[in-house]
Amino acid sequence: MRSETIPKISKELCNRMLSDLENARRPILEAVKCSLDNSNYSPKVGYLTPGDKKVRTELNVSSVQKMSRAIFLLEVLLRNIDTGAVNTKRELYYIAKGEVKHDPHLKPLDFQDQSESDAVIDFICEMLECYREDLNCYANDRGGQTYSNQLVVTETLPDGTKAVVDLSSLGTSPFQPKNRPQSLQLKAKKKIDFCLVVESEGTANTFVANGFCKRNNSILIGAQGVPSNAVRGWAKLIQDQLRVPIYFFGDLDAYTIQNIYRTLKAGSAASLIRNSDFSAPDVHFLGVLPEDIKKYDLSDYPVKETDQSEARALKKAADALKNDPFFQDKRNKNLAKMLEWLLKNKRRCEQQAFFMVDPRDPTMPEKIIVEKIKKGNFI
Amino acid sequence: MAKDKITSSSTAEYFSKNLQQVGFSSPTKAVLTTLKEAVDNSLDACEEQGILPEISVVIEKKGTGTLKNTDLIHIRVEDNGPGLSLDDVPKVFGEYLASSKFGRGRCSRGQQGIGISAATTWAQLTSAKGVTVTTKTKTMRQAVQVQVAVDIKHNKGVLKEKKEGKLKNPHGLSVEFLIDGRIQLQGEGGLITYLTGTALVNPHLTLHYTLPDQKPVTISRVSNDCPEVPSATEPHPHTMKLGEFIAHSHLFGRITLKAWLKKGFSRISDNSLAEFVKNGLNKKMLDMSVDKINEAQFKDIFSVIHKTELMSPSTKSVMTIGEESFSKSVRRLGEVDFFSVVTRKPTICDYKPVAVEVAVARLKGVTKGEGTEDGPVQVLRFANRVPLQFDKSACAMVKAIESVNWRAYGLQQPKDSLPSGPYVVAVSLVSPFIKFKNASKETIDASDELVEELRRTLIQAGQRLSRHIKKEHREQDLENKLRYIEQFCPILVDCLCRITKAPEKRKKKATEGLEKILGRDLTAAKKEFKEADLAAKEAAAKGKIQIITDDAVEAPELEEKPSKGKKREVKSQQPEAKPTKTTAKASVKRAASKEKSAT
Ligand SMILES: Nc1ncnc2c1ncn2[C@@H]1O[C@H](COP(=O)(O)OP(=O)(O)OP(=O)(O)O)[C@@H](O)[C@H]1O
Ligand SMILES: [Mg+2]
Repeated sequence: MRSETIPKISKELCNRMLSDLENARRPILEAVKCSLDNSNYSPKVGYLTPGDKKVRTELNVSSVQKMSRAIFLLEVLLRNIDTGAVNTKRELYYIAKGEVKHDPHLKPLDFQDQSESDAVIDFICEMLECYREDLNCYANDRGGQTYSNQLVVTETLPDGTKAVVDLSSLGTSPFQPKNRPQSLQLKAKKKIDFCLVVESEGTANTFVANGFCKRNNSILIGAQGVPSNAVRGWAKLIQDQLRVPIYFFGDLDAYTIQNIYRTLKAGSAASLIRNSDFSAPDVHFLGVLPEDIKKYDLSDYPVKETDQSEARALKKAADALKNDPFFQDKRNKNLAKMLEWLLKNKRRCEQQAFFMVDPRDPTMPEKIIVEKIKKGNFI
Repeated sequence: MAKDKITSSSTAEYFSKNLQQVGFSSPTKAVLTTLKEAVDNSLDACEEQGILPEISVVIEKKGTGTLKNTDLIHIRVEDNGPGLSLDDVPKVFGEYLASSKFGRGRCSRGQQGIGISAATTWAQLTSAKGVTVTTKTKTMRQAVQVQVAVDIKHNKGVLKEKKEGKLKNPHGLSVEFLIDGRIQLQGEGGLITYLTGTALVNPHLTLHYTLPDQKPVTISRVSNDCPEVPSATEPHPHTMKLGEFIAHSHLFGRITLKAWLKKGFSRISDNSLAEFVKNGLNKKMLDMSVDKINEAQFKDIFSVIHKTELMSPSTKSVMTIGEESFSKSVRRLGEVDFFSVVTRKPTICDYKPVAVEVAVARLKGVTKGEGTEDGPVQVLRFANRVPLQFDKSACAMVKAIESVNWRAYGLQQPKDSLPSGPYVVAVSLVSPFIKFKNASKETIDASDELVEELRRTLIQAGQRLSRHIKKEHREQDLENKLRYIEQFCPILVDCLCRITKAPEKRKKKATEGLEKILGRDLTAAKKEFKEADLAAKEAAAKGKIQIITDDAVEAPELEEKPSKGKKREVKSQQPEAKPTKTTAKASVKRAASKEKSAT
């Protein structure tokens, strides 16, 4: 769905609600249920898709506040679309507060803190089945810093003009993709062999500084943890427009595989309606693999189960093995096995451990990565 | 004889060196313990004689103490009890272990004969003056005042400065201590906490107290029944450890094993003796004198008894306050909103008779300390009607409270903790053999059986309470719904109309439709509230829960009206709905918004 259609379906929705009210019928809003128990996965499609479950919100005394707030914010967002203005969620929070301040009648709508207005914005997206970006609401997307000596990006700006960025002209500065994949056009000046997504942005930067992009016809991306929408949309764009193999290189631990990698490859349950444009199903898991520990004699260490966040990661991984259709699919058997291995051995090995293989050779990790790609040593 | 002297003299010496073990471990605790020992004794003495107690307490600061960070504190407790004859005074106040109740398996407050002598010792050690006692029995013509000091070397009381005294009542006793200490009024170890707690579990008590910088307070009795303390019960052999078992035999001197077992314990009959023999007890032993039995033999006897099944002890030796008196007493706690009390039938836990009672009350206007809106509830613990004020966390009672899911009854409760809110949870345990965790008798040992019995009582109290709390939640719910309809309807319709650019005509029709829809919800909410209200009223009528109605927590009277003109109906219900805080606030808001929409 694109911004142009939003005003139209919004008006339709409001019209429907209004006539329901005129007839003393309760308006019912239906939204896709975004949760794991409503997620389907088929390797042919490649990402998590929504099932038939819907969340129904019926107008009644308990939901009247939520609906009033939603329609109120929708009006604000429609005005933005009309004038081409964009905002972050935080700015919208203050805009809503400003409206209330200028019209005392709206006082009951007032948001006490940003989490309340954020929830309403999400609700509007689910109601209209659109992306937040379609409503001209952008998050401060982090991660996705991209380096390449071959890639050229052409961006169509909101006013229709075009900007061309040749990444080789940026020196050691990265190109930062914004979350508007639909406005970007990619071109390779020279054949690109592969794209490497590194979990740690810092390590990606080290690789570049050490000449990774000079030696390899490649695209190098720093993910910065769980990939944001911008990173996910960007990876999908590279996959579709350039058709180069994509590899993910990150820690060997439950969180990286169950959350970071799965989200990059197949999207997430929370974003079922947008996974089609925000996941790169062809991405491979390059490492660190359990066998790498032995092969390269890497230091690993035990997971601290007393640490709350690590214990949670283990629990979520165990959950994923049981309930996540992605890990249950035969095609991802090897990933599931790896999760099982991690749960059983309760050990972890970090991506930076490759630097210990030859401590005097700063390009050793690069050599191992290239070798792994060549030999097909990945999942 | 000589041997006796040595033991008793070392008794006094032992306690004078270890006063911290019996409640004198800090200046604040010293004041509380002194007060507590005196008041407990007065209550016991009155109960013993069937006198309705009237006790006056005066505590004053008289200057600075000799110990660091202490004040010189004067404590006076006067009762209308039987008084003591002059012969008994030195024994009671100056001699350790000289109690009429020692180890006798009664549910009296005092158990050991240490309490008041320890207070005298503390006074003597810190202010160099023992206790001043004024006493008058029925037979004495005039009240007499004496000073008693403890002769620590010889475990004996010494009388000094005998003179004529004055008492308020025809008979009674007054004790006065001058000690180093510090005053703490509220909270765990607070004096007021002790005094109000004591009043709570003694509905038949009239208590006057004057504390430093405080107005004098009188708590009047709400029951004219003087509780009857059941006669003593002998211990059940299954409750004893080997050491206690042997020590118990020493109390009986030269007596055959057979006679000792039958006389010294409950539930040992001739039949049981035969059973013992069947289970391996040498029959000849039964006729042996207990002072001739050696330790190994005791061990054998002990293990045979433990192998043999015996009848559970009788529960006749325990007593309860009773739901009626307890209910009246709860209202003396302060401004009480509503409450429930539960008195359980006496039962057996760990072979000991116990009686558990619980009161849960919601207080109004608590702003400080425990039992405020978001803090944990205030827990009042009682063992044989004596408040327990320290080391609450390990206590069986607190464990039991924490194990109940109070959320089910409408209270807030963080996981595995005490519930929170402006409530008092009072738990009273009466038993002739209460097992404490430590010598200062502040923590009840948490055996599984006891915790379970406490828990059941608490659950019952919670269930009773929940009817009222649920009603309140429904009331709140109804209030919110009323407010929501008034506030959000116009906003929602306005916004929809602006987005769709709908004409005024549609707006009017939609507003009417919306009011109709929400009116239906309101009717449903009213019905729920009515049902909850009815349930609460029924519970109240049955006496399971009490709602203090003098300034009406009563619900607004709601009546069905035809659904048109809903909005006006909504408003017309307001005036009656004022009593609760939330309701009042809501109606103020509503009035304000009306004004604004009028301008
Ligand atoms: N106010 C009083 N009026 C009449 N008799 C009293 C009074 N205070 C104490 N006595 C008598 O003195 C005895 C000893 O009191 P004391 O406080 O030393 O021991 P206790 O109360 O039996 O046990 P505990 O050490 O547990 O307090 C009591 O058992 C009681 O018979
Ligand atoms: Mg006593």
